[in-house]
Amino acid sequence: MMMMFIIRRLMQTIPVVVGVTFVVFFIMQLVPGDPAVLLAGEGASKETIQAIREQLGLNRPLFVQYFDYLMNVFRGDFGVSLKNSQPVLDEILVRLPITMELAFFSIIFTIILGMTAGIISAIKPYSLTDSTVMIIALLGISLPSFWFGLMMMYFFSVKLQILPVAGWDSILHIILPALTLGAGGAAIVARMTRSSMLEVIRQDYIRTARAKGLRERVIIYKHALRNALIPVITVVGLQFGALLGGTVLVESIFAINGLGRMIVDAIRMRDLPMVQGGVLVASLVFVIVNLFVDVLYRFFNKRIELN
Amino acid sequence: MIEKNKPILEVKGLKTHFSTKRGVSKAVDGIDFTLHKGETLGIVGESGCGKSMTSLSILRLIPSPPGKIAGGQILFKGKDLVTLSENEMREIRGNEISMIFQEPMTSLNPVIPVGEQIAEALRLHQKLGRKAAWDKAVEMLKLVGIPSPEKRAKQEPFQLSGGMRQRVMIAMALACTPEVLIADEPTTALDVTIQAQILELIKDLQSKLGMGVIMITHDLGVVAETCDTVAVMYAGNIIEHAPTDKIFEHPKHPYTQGLLDSLPKIHEDQEELRTIEGSVPSPYHFPAGCRFASRCPFQQPICHEKQPELLEQKDGVKVRCWMYTDQWTGPVGKKEAVK
Repeated sequence: MMMMFIIRRLMQTIPVVVGVTFVVFFIMQLVPGDPAVLLAGEGASKETIQAIREQLGLNRPLFVQYFDYLMNVFRGDFGVSLKNSQPVLDEILVRLPITMELAFFSIIFTIILGMTAGIISAIKPYSLTDSTVMIIALLGISLPSFWFGLMMMYFFSVKLQILPVAGWDSILHIILPALTLGAGGAAIVARMTRSSMLEVIRQDYIRTARAKGLRERVIIYKHALRNALIPVITVVGLQFGALLGGTVLVESIFAINGLGRMIVDAIRMRDLPMVQGGVLVASLVFVIVNLFVDVLYRFFNKRIELN
Repeated sequence: MIEKNKPILEVKGLKTHFSTKRGVSKAVDGIDFTLHKGETLGIVGESGCGKSMTSLSILRLIPSPPGKIAGGQILFKGKDLVTLSENEMREIRGNEISMIFQEPMTSLNPVIPVGEQIAEALRLHQKLGRKAAWDKAVEMLKLVGIPSPEKRAKQEPFQLSGGMRQRVMIAMALACTPEVLIADEPTTALDVTIQAQILELIKDLQSKLGMGVIMITHDLGVVAETCDTVAVMYAGNIIEHAPTDKIFEHPKHPYTQGLLDSLPKIHEDQEELRTIEGSVPSPYHFPAGCRFASRCPFQQPICHEKQPELLEQKDGVKVRCWMYTDQWTGPVGKKEAVK
């Protein structure tokens, strides 16, 4: 059952991925600026630009270019960078693990901090602790990550000098970017966990658990949390998408050579194949994470029909 | 043989109040009753009369705040449950006093296999190991008549029908062989055919285990079928307390009479069902006199002045009504009609 479901969901991702290539390809065409002009450099003659254009196949009709690109992608060929003629895939394979590492630590941070805060709040609703935690969470949602990142950098790296300012060498380098990237998600998860817990605590089966003489701890962690987590899992899945978008900013702030920064640089250079490759891989990651969330969701909530 | 006369649970002057923005709601306002070993006591009354709150008070499961036990004693084997610490209370819940709830569809945890939901109480109270507790849980499912219990124990509630879920609830409540079982409308949510089976099952297990049962219901049919004695509740009070046959044959309190009158009768040609005029007073503002007075066909000035006490009559029936006191000056309505 579960296997069939996973296979079916994987099949469904194919049109999504094709759609992504389509959107990315044509949006890049709308962006002003000609890659051939940029490549040729300032003061290049028209002939040179035309030659570059022909060499790169940019003079062919758009749809031909697109289908060409699509076929190559399915063969695992993402094209070569217009900037340095290196295969796009090679560059992505270097950058992707860095971004994944950052995303992984951020999401772990989001989950642990968000859920803990949510549970603490829900155990004593409307108390001082609850209000404090929820105000912090509101701040977490409201603060823009570029500002929050810079403040963290200023406080922990410049003032206290306990964490490195930027770069990506050791586990210490991960902490600040992961916190910056995960903060907003953690706040959302905290609020979601709290409201979901408060909803679950009122249910009849919690009263049954109490009538059984169970300890409050068992009631919270065994009987309430598993039910409360069902909607939270969905939120975490969605947050992962937002988080991938956030890597673009955070990698730029902390000078991390990940996928996000690669895409930003490529956009600046009109390095079309690079942008397309980067966005395609990022959306693939997102699709896979969503699939994973769906599977998890079903694991936690077996009532959902597997269809 | 089960020793029937030993009191196991004595409730004395129990008051459960809720403090809300609108004021204090006196959901349970000074009730007394005694439950003996092997006895089934029915608590009947309309919705909101305080019967469920009484049962939740016994297990100290009143949502607090806003609710709290404002007075009285609940003596279980001589111990006053009201004064026990939360830890001591936990050892009694699900172990010595258990409860079956009204809603089998929502009273089981949807994500935990039913066998585990029974087994966890056994591990907690009887200190059984994992395997032993599981085996006992399967045995309990068999006892309550669930077919292929080994398979069912591993299933989650959504895979079971309503009747089966209520059987699971019963298995859970009885797993630790409690001395008192509180059944709060155990059959209300079930089909009529299943109702009879569930009631039969509770009676059957009661005679095997010798526990005292408090049957909370608004269904007089259930009372007639299962209870030895009945306490009729109205607006937070017990207004009549008598052996079941006496309640059905010679109801004393005008409210009890009205309650029985409002039952549709199969042998009589009735155009319309009889009802009791008026409505229950708000638990925030009970009148000074008898709480039923404004709806009572026999009401006298005294009824509106002072609340009557629950007094034992010569035949052993306890009733809270001025009609059965020396102060009564009015006509004696249905009282005389009673042979």
